[in-house]
Amino acid sequence: MTEPNEVDILLVEDNPDDLELTLHALRREHLANNIFAVRDGEEAVEFLFCTGRFQQRNFDHLPRLVLLDLKLPKLNGLEVLKRVKQDPRTKALPVVVLTSSKEERDLVASYNLGANSYIQKPVDFDRFREIVKSTGLYWMVINQRPLSNTASASRAATQP
Amino acid sequence: MTHKSRTSNKRLHVLLIEDEPSDAEIEIAELRHGGFDVTADVVETGDQVRGRLGKNSYDVILADYSLPNFRGMDAVDILREKNLNTPLILVTGALNSETAVECVKQGAVDYVMKDNLARLVLCVRRALEDTRLRQERARAQEQLAHKVEELARSNCDLEQFAYVASHDLQEPLRMVAAYTQLLAERYRGKLDTTADRYIGYAVEGATRMQALLEDLLAFSRIGRNGVTPTPVDSNTAIEEVLRNLAITLKEHNVTITCNPLPTILADRFQVVQLFQNLIGNAIKFRGRQAPSVIISAEQHGEEWLFSIFDNGIGIASEHKEFIFKIFQRLHTRAEYPGNGVGLAICKKIVEHNGGRIWVDSELGRGSNFRFTFPAVLADKAGKKEDYELSAENLVSR
Repeated sequence: MTEPNEVDILLVEDNPDDLELTLHALRREHLANNIFAVRDGEEAVEFLFCTGRFQQRNFDHLPRLVLLDLKLPKLNGLEVLKRVKQDPRTKALPVVVLTSSKEERDLVASYNLGANSYIQKPVDFDRFREIVKSTGLYWMVINQRPLSNTASASRAATQP
Repeated sequence: MTHKSRTSNKRLHVLLIEDEPSDAEIEIAELRHGGFDVTADVVETGDQVRGRLGKNSYDVILADYSLPNFRGMDAVDILREKNLNTPLILVTGALNSETAVECVKQGAVDYVMKDNLARLVLCVRRALEDTRLRQERARAQEQLAHKVEELARSNCDLEQFAYVASHDLQEPLRMVAAYTQLLAERYRGKLDTTADRYIGYAVEGATRMQALLEDLLAFSRIGRNGVTPTPVDSNTAIEEVLRNLAITLKEHNVTITCNPLPTILADRFQVVQLFQNLIGNAIKFRGRQAPSVIISAEQHGEEWLFSIFDNGIGIASEHKEFIFKIFQRLHTRAEYPGNGVGLAICKKIVEHNGGRIWVDSELGRGSNFRFTFPAVLADKAGKKEDYELSAENLVSR
């Protein structure tokens, strides 16, 4: 698997079957070479904030995109989202919620916490592939991002 | 000292707080004369009152206003202390009306003058009746509170169930569909056509299961999300529906005639869904000629009566109630697509807002779907012109 310091996409997904499908779809489109997968919310937070198992990781190398499932063991997706968006060092990091359900309360909570997008995984795999392709294309190619997530966020936070 | 009656009238267990034995005798005699089978305990000090109340259950307490060692009203405090609701009636020789009113304020149910004991029986009867009613009310309130609690719990369970279903049931479905599709891709050409067809069925089944699940969740969501009703202009809601259905309207050359509609108090999203399901059905179940839908509303007393009138295939009278039940369909999926949820959702939305929905129809003669909504807005008249203006814009082809 990809080195934790060279990650393009951090994929947070607990179900291994589901993980394989998403990886399959992402790799097929050659949109991201460096994908790193974590299996629960706690691991996601440790990865992003370079703590616990990931304390050797360099904070300056944030992924370009986080694909976040909501129902996760230990720490749920909304809690991960909250921590990412509350911390000035990580709040500019694009987080796309990618989950099975489109419960209104999850949508509302996700956007209120600062999610950049909310996508329901469709049952039809061809459609899922289409969605992964457009999502990857948008966030990895079309979308412009600041050179450094960290620097821009802290500058923005100190300006009036 | 205890007095017993020989008659078999209504039993009455009395606590008499009285220091004058002859007065006690007269009061008991009065009650017996009034038809009560009296058992009485006569006491004259606070300790005795406490002691008796601790061991017995009395129907009524008759208390002299002032005794040498005790004030009748002190018994009220003792009752409160012991958390008892036994009615207490003051029976007294001399009491000015102000003091009497004050005593009633403090918790005596009534007072009787000793020179007018004829009132005693009436007072006791009334006190007993009041106590009975109070107890009944308390019981009813307790039952109601219990039901409310039960209902809240069951709503909470339903909410939890729907949430879990939404997340946890969709995931395995996606696995079935996705891996079957991957299988098909990997082994394309290596399997025979029957295998390909079977794979198609599996994917179709999983996709349909998801649609059913989504519909079921949408149905359960009505009234579950706790949205606050706001004034919704039905004309605007219809405009939105017509925009949503624009392609279908054009494709089938549908004529929509919309008369001025009122503003109602509801959730905007639900109103749009209600109209969209009904108008959508009018087009889906169209007859041979181009579909025509007439939308109108008129006020009947406290409610608005809406009508969505189409020239479609109509509904046989024996099916008029059946069609509003969830997952019930009159046609095969091949004839008319759908899951049989649309009208069930309409019914739930209307009923959730305090209205009724039904259909007037005959097979082959179109359908008139009608529903009511409470007319609760005060400024209907003031907005009438606005309605007509927007309604004119709405008449589309």
